[in-house]
Amino acid sequence: MKTWRPFRFSIAAVLSVIFGYPLLWMVLTSFKSRAELEASAWSLPTRFYLGNFRDVLSMGHFGRYYLNSIVVCGVSVAVASLAAAAAAYAFARLRFRGKEALFLLLLSGMMIPVHVTLIPLHRMMSSLGLLNSPVALIGPYIAFALPVSTFILRAFFESLPRDVEDAAQLDGCSPIGAFWHVALPLAAPALATVIIFNFVYMWNEFAFALTLTSGTTTTLPVGIYEVSRSSFSTHVPGMTAGLTIGVIPGLIVYFIAQKHIVKGMTAGALGG
Amino acid sequence: MQSRRTVWLLLAPALAVYGLFVLWPIAQSVRFSLFVGSEAVGGHFARLLLRPDGRFLRALGNNVLLVLLSLLIQLPCAMGLALLLSGRLPGRGVFRTIFFAPMVIPTVAIGFLWRFIYQPGWQGGLLNQLLMLVGLGTVDWLGNPGIDLFAIIVTVSWRHVGFHTVIFLAGLQGIPEEIYEAARIDGATVWETFRDITLPMMRPVIAVSATLSLVGSLKYFDIFYVMSPVGGTRGSADLVTTYMYRTAFSALNHGYGSAIAVTLLVITLLVAVPAMRLLQGRRTQ
Repeated sequence: MKTWRPFRFSIAAVLSVIFGYPLLWMVLTSFKSRAELEASAWSLPTRFYLGNFRDVLSMGHFGRYYLNSIVVCGVSVAVASLAAAAAAYAFARLRFRGKEALFLLLLSGMMIPVHVTLIPLHRMMSSLGLLNSPVALIGPYIAFALPVSTFILRAFFESLPRDVEDAAQLDGCSPIGAFWHVALPLAAPALATVIIFNFVYMWNEFAFALTLTSGTTTTLPVGIYEVSRSSFSTHVPGMTAGLTIGVIPGLIVYFIAQKHIVKGMTAGALGG
Repeated sequence: MQSRRTVWLLLAPALAVYGLFVLWPIAQSVRFSLFVGSEAVGGHFARLLLRPDGRFLRALGNNVLLVLLSLLIQLPCAMGLALLLSGRLPGRGVFRTIFFAPMVIPTVAIGFLWRFIYQPGWQGGLLNQLLMLVGLGTVDWLGNPGIDLFAIIVTVSWRHVGFHTVIFLAGLQGIPEEIYEAARIDGATVWETFRDITLPMMRPVIAVSATLSLVGSLKYFDIFYVMSPVGGTRGSADLVTTYMYRTAFSALNHGYGSAIAVTLLVITLLVAVPAMRLLQGRRTQ
């Protein structure tokens, strides 16, 4: 197989250029003037033109989108991870009636289309006065993050040896104390996976944000949606500038923490 | 020692949130689908299923196509990429980073990016300009009811293929090197090695990917909603979810929208539960 290596490398290189080109094109076009784009969509920008970014920053509220996204995702991820860890610990370590049935009920959330909750949640938030507030997103985000998180964390707790927790309980620790002081710190690697998985999912979430928020109250994906929709037909370089502003910070984080993010996002599929 | 109170304390936060934001809304949806805006109880379902709603059937058919094509495009491509990137290959990490990148980008951004790639007309998008360059005519990819669905499925596949590639790469790593060694000594060809060793050993991993792809395709929404703002021509690029969303939030028909949503839930569970069962059984074997 060794002779294959240069051949394999060239194929992989060509494929990754084709595959990555749409994203590269997005960034390149954001520096082109409208006239340059109309001349050719494939040409490279001839100078470092920043007008598109100026235009799009005056159209959208990117600072707000980012702030809303960070707050909503931060709060939701923190609460979801802790709640899932507590539930996962109970499912892994304690005995009680209806345990497997409850676990299955929670797990079925992985299959449920979020769309079946949109109309009732829209009405609920509207009657609570939370429609068009980023706060409205937190509850649904936590709820739909719980199934996978509990699944991954339960598997992890079950893989831990019981000895340490037993010792802690013999020393007078309550079961909750054993969870909080012993098992939870040991679960740090699985928690990291769960946190990353949920953060990426929530950061990109569209359907709830589209239904429950808009304008300055929305998160990054719907912000991108509103800005792109208004600039798509008239100002394509402006649209790509908006996409670049919306996408690049996340991509940079991905490039830096690639290993963890890939692992976190595939953990659900690979069984934790 | 482990009192009921302990169990309750640990489970309460998760179950409360799950109940309030998943189970209760589902119950509400069932109620709306039966009683809101319809002259008879169950009138919405009669209109949806008995007196078939053409738009709904079209959307459902598109979902089935999405499921099939996702399986037939994404998994073989991902297998090819995983084989290409497995083993020692310079720059392997960089390649993996690139192929996985669309998975971490908001779907909305992907949708608009590809809308421009497919853009027709005088300010022709990337694809049409390429076709003109090689002397072919242009195509209105997203405005043509025979093509739009497939064009969007290509975009969806572009986003997801890297995900399955990474899962397959993990699966390939689990196959012991000695088996390949033995096959080489026996003089097996590359194809025989793939057919008789790699594929059977990868079966559990492929099953996971297939299940995720199946369930994901049934409830797909984002990229279709962005790339086809009105669902194509007479629903040519509608999915059940996008049809439901427009019915509920553009036409403001909450009752009928709920009926579509509840039907989607039932279909998803009917398909997903046996698939998950099968998977669970495989895993514990």
